Amino acid sequence: MAVSTIRRPQSDDDQSGAVKLSTIDTDIHHGIRGAKDLIPYLSRTDADRYESYGVGGGGNLYAYNGGVRGYRADVVDGQSPGGLGAAATNIEMTISDLMDGCAVDIGLLTGSSMYSAASIPDVDYASALCRAFNDFTIEHWLQRDSRFRFAMAICPQDPAQAAAEIDRIGSHPQVISVILPCGAPRAFGQRFYHPIFEACERNNLTVSLHFATEGSGINPPPTSAGYPTYYAESRQSRPAFYQVHLASMIFEGWFERFPTLKVAMLEGGFAWVPSYVWKLDQDWKALRWQTPWVKQLPSETVFSRVRFATQPLEEPNPPSAIHPMIEWMQGQNTLMFASDYPHWDWDDPRDTLTQLDPALRHRIFVENALDCYPKLRNGQ
Amino acid sequence: MSRHVVCRVDELPPGQHRIISVRGRTIGVFNVNGEYHALLNRCPHRAAPLCQGVVTGLITSPAQYQRELTRDGEIVRCPWHGWEFDITDGRSVFNPHRVRTRTYEVFVETAPPGEDEDPDADAAGAQLVQATIGPDDPDPTLETYPVEVEQQFVVLYLGQSKPAARPE
Repeated sequence: MAVSTIRRPQSDDDQSGAVKLSTIDTDIHHGIRGAKDLIPYLSRTDADRYESYGVGGGGNLYAYNGGVRGYRADVVDGQSPGGLGAAATNIEMTISDLMDGCAVDIGLLTGSSMYSAASIPDVDYASALCRAFNDFTIEHWLQRDSRFRFAMAICPQDPAQAAAEIDRIGSHPQVISVILPCGAPRAFGQRFYHPIFEACERNNLTVSLHFATEGSGINPPPTSAGYPTYYAESRQSRPAFYQVHLASMIFEGWFERFPTLKVAMLEGGFAWVPSYVWKLDQDWKALRWQTPWVKQLPSETVFSRVRFATQPLEEPNPPSAIHPMIEWMQGQNTLMFASDYPHWDWDDPRDTLTQLDPALRHRIFVENALDCYPKLRNGQ
Repeated sequence: MSRHVVCRVDELPPGQHRIISVRGRTIGVFNVNGEYHALLNRCPHRAAPLCQGVVTGLITSPAQYQRELTRDGEIVRCPWHGWEFDITDGRSVFNPHRVRTRTYEVFVETAPPGEDEDPDADAAGAQLVQATIGPDDPDPTLETYPVEVEQQFVVLYLGQSKPAARPE
């Protein structure tokens, strides 16, 4: 088995700086305990508004979630009020429960409290909230534990301000990605968003997509048939969120325009990927002449530039059917482990994909994340 | 077969449960409407601490769009991934015959300390007797009667089957 090491950007206890890795968790939902956490990072007027109204926007369409308000019932701390999104708000518990308890070497914090900002029409307020959440995270999470990395919050509905925010903190050694909530008025391959991706390129940041805010606020309904009634239905519609954005990025020529950028698809599962790339290839062969700037088979683009997080892990019947799925999507290069802590449907790294060949499991638990997030390996 | 005193009866009122550690495993002991049940604190799906989940009832549907809560307090919903289990027999709701978790025998007994008994529980019973004599109570030494305090305890049995002759 290959042994992977990285250099810690901020290490007090390891003089050599080299760390052997066994698990990288690419999706940990951290958040704020309440309005008071963000107040110090907001202007007086924005702070007043936040204290009175919170994020605003469309809120959580499917509040009838699983677990306890979306949390694992065994870790819910009762501190996070409704509407902020189920997130780990207790950093000490996150460290003892997940980082130490599950032997996670590197954990990517993906937030949750600020996804809703991507659904509100007042882009200045939305941008202020993202800045505040980013500053809060740097001060209270990244500085607390050098194992944490951060996929920073931005508001894609205002690409200019999003780019400015990326340039403001994008060089922080533990900031390795930006989060794009999948709910959006336009698909992410479109030129409207170019300033965001140019900023990602300047700062060597990976683009992470995570479902959220579909159908809320300024965003269109979450499916082409409108609003499903129940939470279970909304979960089934998730792959479509990722499929729409990824097809847009492929056929708009996004991957050719931004040749250094990688894309991470978080919390969308992965069993849908094989049939998706087969269909993309089939259609590109027939319709290539309509988008001649697309230079290679879509599947080749996906396999080389896109990474998919494991969570929520599909459970096929028979269970062994997971193996051809992984093979068909070239999972040895494209799959990354994610726990989705502290959500009710999380996957425990100690008990996930344990039946795989150790070398393949190491690719999924370490190597593919290092490939996807270049700042993990480089440190700076 | 081994016998373990869990707690005094008044420490586990109906609707409550506690999770105890016995011989290297954790077990949830539940009081469901005055009846006691014990489940292995481990979900057969992904090994979650099952008994730390939400205790609820069985939600059934007499007709489309109608929900009825029945058997309130008899179902525990796993804190990870939400699988539901019947506290009274350890069987899953969605596939009771094939997916289930281990159950144990629980009885209420007037407890003379047994060999496997937790000595702390007996001490707790003695403390309770002491506490009933307050500073303003008559001095019990003035006039004494032979008193036998019988304290009821929740007792858990680990083993393959119900004990043949359980202590009364």
